[in-house]
Amino acid sequence: MDEMIICRCEEIPLKTIRKTVQEGACTIREVKLQTRAGMGICQGRTCRPLVEKLLPSEKEQAAVYQISGYRLPVRPLLLQDFFKE
Amino acid sequence: MKTADAVVIGGGVIGTSIAFRLARKGLKTILIEKGAIGGATSGSCDKAIFLQSKKPGVHLELAKASLAVYKQLEHELGESIEFEQCGGMIAIESEEQLSTMKEFVQKQQQAGIPIRLLDVYEARQIQPVLADHMRGATWSELDAEVNPLLLSQAFAKAARRNGTEILTHTEVQGIECIQGRVAKIKTNLGEIATETVINAAGPFAPAIGKLVGLSIPIVPRRGVIFISEKVPPILRGNLLCAQYIVSKHLAHLSENYNPYGIGLSLGQTKSGNLLLGGSREFVGFQKDVPPEIYASIAEHACRIIPSLRGIRMIRTMVGFRPSTGDGLPILQESPDVEGFYIAAGHEGDGIALAPITGQIVASLVSKDNQFAHFTQHLTLNRFAALL
Repeated sequence: MDEMIICRCEEIPLKTIRKTVQEGACTIREVKLQTRAGMGICQGRTCRPLVEKLLPSEKEQAAVYQISGYRLPVRPLLLQDFFKE
Repeated sequence: MKTADAVVIGGGVIGTSIAFRLARKGLKTILIEKGAIGGATSGSCDKAIFLQSKKPGVHLELAKASLAVYKQLEHELGESIEFEQCGGMIAIESEEQLSTMKEFVQKQQQAGIPIRLLDVYEARQIQPVLADHMRGATWSELDAEVNPLLLSQAFAKAARRNGTEILTHTEVQGIECIQGRVAKIKTNLGEIATETVINAAGPFAPAIGKLVGLSIPIVPRRGVIFISEKVPPILRGNLLCAQYIVSKHLAHLSENYNPYGIGLSLGQTKSGNLLLGGSREFVGFQKDVPPEIYASIAEHACRIIPSLRGIRMIRTMVGFRPSTGDGLPILQESPDVEGFYIAAGHEGDGIALAPITGQIVASLVSKDNQFAHFTQHLTLNRFAALL
């Protein structure tokens, strides 16, 4: 169970996320900054709900939705797709 | 009530670096961060430590002193922060830029920076991805890089190992003074008795200053950076463009034709992602970025490195850099409130200057005068005319 991959893009296992939460991380932002979970090509589209479930308490999970927004782009885009033309 | 010898407000690269040094000096230190460690300005930046671009004088000397601390920092912190002296380049696109950069290189050489002016052939030997129309580049072996995310975490961990208590998701609500001296901090999670407070809140430093009636002239400067998918190594060291130098050093001249302060800054992380910037604007804490800015950054970058067109961007980030207006931070005990120290305003140089800032502030707190040659230039009073 511990070896189960939570973030597929960055290959972060359950045990790494659990350890980070045990050491005091209580938001998805902290888990991300400390483990790279959610930093891969899918930008947490797969692992985000799983990581959110591993956060300590409901109260703090509620705070997560205020703190963690979503950033552009919604899907990976070629740099040239950002051009004006 | 908790008590502490010193309370550091702000858990970015600056605050964590200061907490580490204070704790190492044996002070019982508490660090308060309203969000996550390294989660705001220090987590929305690139990784370059450029020295060749620094203005000769205090700015350059600070950066050199900080680089010296960096060289032994992994040993001190006991873990990797992906520090490397990888070299840096400034790409030159036009004849006009070339003549400006010739002067620039001369000035930097006189200041003792190992920097060379390369023709386009030499430049493309180092960075084969540069476009054909480039006119040349500068190169310095002195420039370095670090992983800023690892840096904040490593400073925080080392501070904790040395006894610092770190309170995240904790907001400072008030600072009580008794007879002009700091006495107590009030937070949403209780009070802390202390006679020393360090305001390392970066772009939020003015709000903390207000709590003791102090006006701190720092404003947020917004910077936008793209993050790409992982790609095989395409770069050596970190890359800026001459327009970035013009935008940084001659902002008053370039404002007319470069309203977003667009200039290339490009680096590739150890994991393969490109960090591609950027813009420099004063728009308050506005996080919504108009599409023209993304377009301008993308078009500008692809003109210099055409192969970037076909690389996928997976994310953009928006950072608010604490700007004092003269490019230098304020590192000083408040002249009006005893025990209240300001350590903020590094703008885009927080990563480069974090290591030396920790040492300088710890020395200010212990009043040993060790860095007076720096701190005499980093006072709040230098903005007296503005306050």
